[in-house]
Amino acid sequence: MAAVIDLKDVSIGYGADAPPVLAGVTLAIERGSFVAIVGPSGVGKSTLLRVVAGLHSARSGYVDIHAPERPDRRPVALVFQDARLMPWRRVQKNVEFGLEGLPIPKPARAERAASALRLVHLDGYGGRWPYELSGGQRQRVGIARALAVEPDILLMDEPFGALDAITRRNLQEELRRIHQDTGKTVLFVTHDIEEAVHLADRILLLGGTSPARIVRDFPNTPGSEGHAFHEQVNQVRGGLADNYSI
Amino acid sequence: MTPQRAVLLSALGVAVFLGLWEAMARSGFVPAGLLPSPSAVPPAFLAEVKRGMWQAMVLSSLSHYLKGLVIGSLLGIAFGAAAALWPVWDALQAWVVRMLRPIPSIAWIPFAIIWFGVSEQAASFLIALTVFWINYFASYAAVQGIDKDLIELGEAFGQGGLIPRVFKIILPAAMPGILSGLRAGLGQGWMTVVAAELFGITGVGMRMQDASGMLATNIVVLYMVTIAVLYGVSDFIFMRVQGRVLAWRR
Ligand SMILES: Nc1ncnc2c1ncn2[C@@H]1O[C@H](COP(=O)(O)OP(=O)(O)OP(=O)(O)O)[C@@H](O)[C@H]1O
Ligand SMILES: [Mg+2]
Repeated sequence: MAAVIDLKDVSIGYGADAPPVLAGVTLAIERGSFVAIVGPSGVGKSTLLRVVAGLHSARSGYVDIHAPERPDRRPVALVFQDARLMPWRRVQKNVEFGLEGLPIPKPARAERAASALRLVHLDGYGGRWPYELSGGQRQRVGIARALAVEPDILLMDEPFGALDAITRRNLQEELRRIHQDTGKTVLFVTHDIEEAVHLADRILLLGGTSPARIVRDFPNTPGSEGHAFHEQVNQVRGGLADNYSI
Repeated sequence: MTPQRAVLLSALGVAVFLGLWEAMARSGFVPAGLLPSPSAVPPAFLAEVKRGMWQAMVLSSLSHYLKGLVIGSLLGIAFGAAAALWPVWDALQAWVVRMLRPIPSIAWIPFAIIWFGVSEQAASFLIALTVFWINYFASYAAVQGIDKDLIELGEAFGQGGLIPRVFKIILPAAMPGILSGLRAGLGQGWMTVVAAELFGITGVGMRMQDASGMLATNIVVLYMVTIAVLYGVSDFIFMRVQGRVLAWRR
């Protein structure tokens, strides 16, 4: 299988003089895989997603994204760690944002946004202003906005962080279903190791003294239960503790 | 305080103010020519309206005002936003702005008259100048202060080009600040209308100047009240429009 995301010896930093945040990152992610990224706060998880999304350029190394260009989609979409809605647009128009500029007729655009809102259990909320939503609802609008552009690569930065256990579980299952049905490649940042073990087929651990790097790369079987599940959670947790140096 | 109570209290305040004023004028404490009584204003109003004077002056002033306001606001917003957006342009114009900014617009009256004559355009020019600076600085600050994360959001969803960035992100995000500049310009504009017309350009200011020459102080007060009302109405309408435009704010 071809790598859709291909990083070779990448180092990333902010500002020309500051030391890099991440260095020596080499990573090939296969099409259709679901990769979880875990690591301590401030290690560079969001930074890594930003580079894959093309929002920030690497200081050195190679970054190749092989997502096909299709007229009515965007190859890559990002769910931000903060919901990042435009407060002057109603929910529906926030979700349509990424579709603007693509050759999609208006009614079809509205329909795609509406069905993305259904996926995150927010049907009927299209007419609200962002300030009229709870934090978790806002986060879900951010997810719908990314799903609406039907990306080949879905980058998610702690998308379920602000949700209660039941909503979280529902959306996890929804995401698994979308992943299985559409074969999207998913890069998923989370602080919740159980969530990573439940969802991903591969778990990357970022850590080490700054600059950070990928310190562990666990294969994983999503949807495992019972003993196997707990065993894996302990493995990843152990890896995290060993590399907790920030 | 309940809204009804607030309205009652402010009505009471106005009534007391007018009452004291009337009493001062009637008591002969102040000579009649120096301070007209408020009750002398409505007859002056009726007389001015009957002659068609009031309507003509108000229409003329409104026309200077609106032209100056529109031109000055649009240019001010455009230049202010541009300076906040492009550092090279900002640096180029920074010292020109510092030199021109402290000159009050009425100091331009001689040039306005040399360039445009004692004309409508001269008045509109002065108003535009006043309004320009207010909007320039308000828009500059508003655009500079927007949340940069929203620009990143635009890039992430294919709206990073100049046109979508400016029209879908920057201007809407800066809108509250831009509107408060517009509102301030709305008020300053009226003050400049009067100042500009004192020099003989047809309008409310000119009529006030003429009336004071004839010691018709009640007519002067009539036009002072007229300006206050025009300003009050334009500000009220503006606030209603702003309430709609910014409905997305909590
Ligand atoms: N715009 C920026 N300018 C300068 N430094 C930054 C910027 N954004 C992030 N950093 C720094 O880069 C490092 C990594 O930040 P990043 O946001 O990627 O962490 P993270 O792993 O996502 O953390 P968290 O789990 O708390 O979200 C941090 O040390 C942070 O201070
Ligand atoms: Mg982060």
